[in-house]
Amino acid sequence: MKLTRREFLKLSGITGGTIAASSLLSGGLKTLIAGAKGSLTTVDERTPTTCWIGKQECGLLVRKVNGRVVKIEGHPAHPRNQGTLCPKGISQIMALYDPNRVKTPLLRTNEKGIPGEWEPTTWDEALRIVGERIKDVRARDNDLLVWQKGRSKAGNFYDTAFVKASGATKLHHGGFCSDAGYRACEYTIGLHGVLHPDFRHARYVLSWGWNATNAGGNKLCWLTWPRQLVKAREAGMQMAVIDPRLRGAAHFADDWLPIRPGTDLAMALALCNGLIEEGTVDWDYLRQYTNSPYLVNEEGNFVRDGDTELVWDQASGMAVPHDTPNVDAALEGAFDFDGEQVRPAFQVFKEHIAEYTYEMAEEICGVPAQKIQKVAQDLGENAMIGSSIEVEGSVLPYRPVSIMAYHMAQQELGFQAIRAMLMVTMLLGAVGAVGGQRSDFTWKIHGNYEKLDEIEIGDPPYNIYLKNSQYFPINSNNSSLVSWVQQNPENYGVDTIPEVVILHMVNPLTAFPDQRVMIDTYKKFKFVAAIDPWLSKTADYFADVILPAATLEKYEGPMGVSDQYTDAQSLRVPPVEPLFQSRGEIDIYIDLCEHADILYGEGGYIDQINQAFRFEEDFALPLNSKPATRDIFDRWARSEGIEEGVEFFEQIGLHDKGSVPATSYYGYATDPVFGGAVHRLYGESLLGYQREMRARGVDEIYWQDYTALPTWRKPTMDLSPDDYDLYLISFKMIEFKQSRASQIPLLAELAPQSFLEINPVTARERDINDGDEVWVESHNAVTLETRRVKVTAKYRESIRPDVVGMPHHYGEVARHPWAQGQGPTPNELFFTGEGYVANTADQSFHVKVKVSHV
Amino acid sequence: MAKYGMVIDISRCTGCRACMEACKVENNTPQGSFFMYVFRFEEGEYPNTRIWFMPRPCMHCDNPPCVKVCPVGARYKMAEGFTATDWDRCIGCRYCEVACPYGVNYFNWRNPAESHYLNWEDDREIELILDGEVLPYANPDLELEYGPEMRHNAGGGRLKGVVEKCTFCIHRVENGLDPACAANCPTNALHFGDLEDPESEASQILHEQSGFQYLEDVGAEPRVHYVGGHPPTTETREIEIVNVRV
Repeated sequence: MKLTRREFLKLSGITGGTIAASSLLSGGLKTLIAGAKGSLTTVDERTPTTCWIGKQECGLLVRKVNGRVVKIEGHPAHPRNQGTLCPKGISQIMALYDPNRVKTPLLRTNEKGIPGEWEPTTWDEALRIVGERIKDVRARDNDLLVWQKGRSKAGNFYDTAFVKASGATKLHHGGFCSDAGYRACEYTIGLHGVLHPDFRHARYVLSWGWNATNAGGNKLCWLTWPRQLVKAREAGMQMAVIDPRLRGAAHFADDWLPIRPGTDLAMALALCNGLIEEGTVDWDYLRQYTNSPYLVNEEGNFVRDGDTELVWDQASGMAVPHDTPNVDAALEGAFDFDGEQVRPAFQVFKEHIAEYTYEMAEEICGVPAQKIQKVAQDLGENAMIGSSIEVEGSVLPYRPVSIMAYHMAQQELGFQAIRAMLMVTMLLGAVGAVGGQRSDFTWKIHGNYEKLDEIEIGDPPYNIYLKNSQYFPINSNNSSLVSWVQQNPENYGVDTIPEVVILHMVNPLTAFPDQRVMIDTYKKFKFVAAIDPWLSKTADYFADVILPAATLEKYEGPMGVSDQYTDAQSLRVPPVEPLFQSRGEIDIYIDLCEHADILYGEGGYIDQINQAFRFEEDFALPLNSKPATRDIFDRWARSEGIEEGVEFFEQIGLHDKGSVPATSYYGYATDPVFGGAVHRLYGESLLGYQREMRARGVDEIYWQDYTALPTWRKPTMDLSPDDYDLYLISFKMIEFKQSRASQIPLLAELAPQSFLEINPVTARERDINDGDEVWVESHNAVTLETRRVKVTAKYRESIRPDVVGMPHHYGEVARHPWAQGQGPTPNELFFTGEGYVANTADQSFHVKVKVSHV
Repeated sequence: MAKYGMVIDISRCTGCRACMEACKVENNTPQGSFFMYVFRFEEGEYPNTRIWFMPRPCMHCDNPPCVKVCPVGARYKMAEGFTATDWDRCIGCRYCEVACPYGVNYFNWRNPAESHYLNWEDDREIELILDGEVLPYANPDLELEYGPEMRHNAGGGRLKGVVEKCTFCIHRVENGLDPACAANCPTNALHFGDLEDPESEASQILHEQSGFQYLEDVGAEPRVHYVGGHPPTTETREIEIVNVRV
């Protein structure tokens, strides 16, 4: 029996009074006739907390019997998981009690670049050593210090306060995840996210890429999206899937378009062209809320009067400022303005995409033209352009069609592909409409909407991730590229190579391609400290010091845990004390900062925490005394108006903030509409960046995708020789998704080995049987390098014959008995650098390979 | 008196196998033993391919072949619908395993503690962190006696040489809770309930949707029903297979 939100609120009295977590469990079944004989000495308790192992911070109830955790279950009232958990969430009990965790601080005693030999040491000694190194580089040049994260679970403490207090350069993981999509959405509609549906009202969803059921998705992880997907389907929602593999969407696909990898941009533009040809376009939206009517001159720039873009007023036959009241702006046509031909941006777009016919898309994407046409028609029909619906008293446009896309953004043309996909739903007027295209939980305009439009490309020297550089003006901060640049910094105008790196729950050697480049880079760091519960492969080969972090058993957060419809806050609360000698990361940073002389006083870590949380007056931490982590959360909870403080979370684990109101959820319901952001169909500034890059003499490979409108070209990988005749794509499995988990015994048992999915037709041509060992060799079309791994082939009818697929996740933890012999990660085959990153520096997970029998 | 059963909605199942893990942790089963198993299936040839998933607990049959062959009455049928195993009485002859058409019985070849995920008996480090007391990775509820007959039928014992299988989590049902798999299913594909009560969610789903019983023609009369899909055929291939025996 699942607890409803109403019952939970009643139980928790909303904010007043606390209850025992065990009362959250309500049985609904009739019990059997006789009861069980219970033991009187058993202490059976449940601690509410927040999941640690995954991406999306589900709520937990941790059951302990006599102090021993015996099971981890879902928090029944949590908006994201409502009493349920994914396989990882349940199995993290084995991560908690894993005797192969790093148990004490460790010092390396042998040379780097080979598996480490380690000597246990005290926390004091380990922190002293790391602190001294931080002090040393900070005294010389702050650029020598790097903080690199995998997934950060308390951004205010780590990404913000520690990075600011230490002055480190921060390296992200997003350039491996979906950041090309984030940049595309920030630039185009001002929202920080990729693409997801409003499932509550959706009628037709285009699931693009492998995320629908098989792991992950925008903003949320796997568990919440499929819950919403299943409900929507039962309410009649149709779903078409565009992906080289069917596995990710499984039987939820009403239609499957097995697309050739890297061609998504062409498919999206063909859909746009089809929608215009079919006449299913929301003209009102384009005219009022996008830059479609802005006049573009022959050079590709907007025509302006001062700072204001002009549109063509059809009533007066004149160019007038776009904000002229009652203007009847033309979207199509060509006009004469001051002796020059000018066209509305939409006309430029229409002409630009006219060549992207269904037939051309068939040729490029390898999907029959009729199937693409059917998707365009289904989109057009289901969009119900012109319709409206009442939500919470407001009548809003109703356009129940959208695209769901996430990890597929990481491809060479990713930024422009996501822009093109967004244009599909823009044409339909679905962006921000009820049932339409979402990108974030609320319609909050992100700072990058302006920033990405007005980047000032700087002169060298550049920092290690080439921020504001002439190579990647829009820049997602890709650690692989950082490593690539460090091989030849002089080629990129980089003159400072960092000496010290702090690895925060990150394992670049396995998690990021290209592995050989990574190895060369980490060799160059003079000092590497790893904060990690396990001995990652990177730490094993390159760390000088390892600081053992706790897993679930610590205070961490706070987390916003909206499921997009209901908002809530949660904390991670330790169900048991940190095991072995591990410690929570916040505790580690407090002590580390003390050793590095950056804890106290103005600008110190404590001060940065105050600023990150906006703690003022009574809530502010004193700058001259060391805070306790629990006390910081107590202040935070009280500053949020929760009178019981941190105890509220220790008792019931969840602060319900209620339904997300339509006025902050729907772009059409915000004031001003869409948060005041004009949607950029036409990317004038992108063209501007191209011009400047060319003026600076930068090679075409950098500027070619900085175009005002998405423009198809063959991905660089297609230049590999013909015998590299297959595309390798990668995917993630629900068993391990979003975390280092293949060493967890329960999960390793479910999916013990890496494998290569291959179509039987393709396999038989190569005399490969199901289950055979094969060589997969990748080729870099730019450097001509090759990489090779041995892996087990698995027949799949549900994958394109010219594509092979491999899961990520394997090989993460070094020398763990459960991680032995699990086989390779595809990151051994992918490349980084030119041709294998997007124009936004985002990593591509595509490469051409050949497959042969061992 | 309630008479329990399960209705599995294939159309909702995403094949995540969280139910398998919820079961493993709840019931403390050793490696290779899955009281709940989820098949991942592929059918057809490219590009006319279909992928679907089918959870498979014990069917708790009303005409159970396993009960008929048990020479000692360890496998028995409870009035409440459970096909139960008294692990205290099982002699490990494995007749039930042979008789069952569904392959849901797991014989403990070894002392299960040795094939648990962590070898608790040997790890001094764990002993240290748990204050010298080596607590097994175990659910204490499993050791108790349940049902009107008060028998050891909750999948406990962890004895070498006995057969174990899905108990429908009788120890949870006794406390009014759904079996661990059904309680955890993120998409609510598993409906446990009183199939004799027309008001129960499970009954209503079964009433509203046409369903099937797995290997219906065998005549075992499963108390597990499937809706929202079709039974596997000879054209159905299993993918992403988990090695269920070690």
